[in-house]
Amino acid sequence: MMSDSAKDRALHSLRKKGGLSPLSGLEFHRREVQARSKDSVSSVSYVDEPSQRDEISRLTVRMENTYQLGPMKHFPMVIINCILKDVLTNYLQEEKYKPELCRQMTKTLSEVIKTQVKELMIPRYKLIVVTHIGQLKDQSLFIGSRCLWDPKSDTVSSYIFRNSSLFALASVYAVYSE
Amino acid sequence: MEEYHRHCDEVGFNADEAHNIVKECVDGVLGGEDYNQNNINQWTASIVEQSLTHLVKLGKAYKYIVTCAVVQRSAYGFHTASSCFWDTTSDGTCTIRWENRTMNCIVNVFAIAIVL
Repeated sequence: MMSDSAKDRALHSLRKKGGLSPLSGLEFHRREVQARSKDSVSSVSYVDEPSQRDEISRLTVRMENTYQLGPMKHFPMVIINCILKDVLTNYLQEEKYKPELCRQMTKTLSEVIKTQVKELMIPRYKLIVVTHIGQLKDQSLFIGSRCLWDPKSDTVSSYIFRNSSLFALASVYAVYSE
Repeated sequence: MEEYHRHCDEVGFNADEAHNIVKECVDGVLGGEDYNQNNINQWTASIVEQSLTHLVKLGKAYKYIVTCAVVQRSAYGFHTASSCFWDTTSDGTCTIRWENRTMNCIVNVFAIAIVL
């Protein structure tokens, strides 16, 4: 039986300069209601509005050559692993799966992890943090990713956390900005 | 004074184009199939690799990260979120949701510009 049509809003790239982060939350939550099932909708929780001033400033940005071929300081993956492990364990150790809680938790976790990684202040690196939380039952799922980048300078790190009722996977992608 | 020329006509990531490309890839791999634990590894790899290949064929100066999550359709919840720290004028993201009778598929594409 087809479920109700769900709104689907992809996150559009922002026009505001300064590296402010867009946050996107997508959820699938299915609840059996008698014989029917419902899909919940995807939602964007935080988007900056474009401003006119930025249209003008965008056109006049010029970058000078740095003559730098690679990163001066590589991304410390060991520290990232520790950050992921600590954040996931602290936030989720005592939690049980609840739809509303986990919906908010994914967004919160992404922001927290990103903030902590930013504090390392590794220069010229762009970050992407992806978090998945799911209910731990008998369903099956598979998550995979591929990246097209420069393996000498760019890296990825991920951590899976499990407790009795839920699982969480957090990945951090660090891309060198040439 | 040196002139700085932009090689591409448009500024920023074209999310609609990427959306169409990836949707076609997912339709091609998963269309008409039922969830099967033996094949899921291969399907996910195909979706991601084909998407990447097609995105590269656009010829734009971007680094791409493509993630794919395939979940068996069940009464159990699943949530995804992402947070990015980048230059919002040149980088972008696009998310594709696809479903059929037995499974849900979420594909995220992140594109980070290479400044030439």
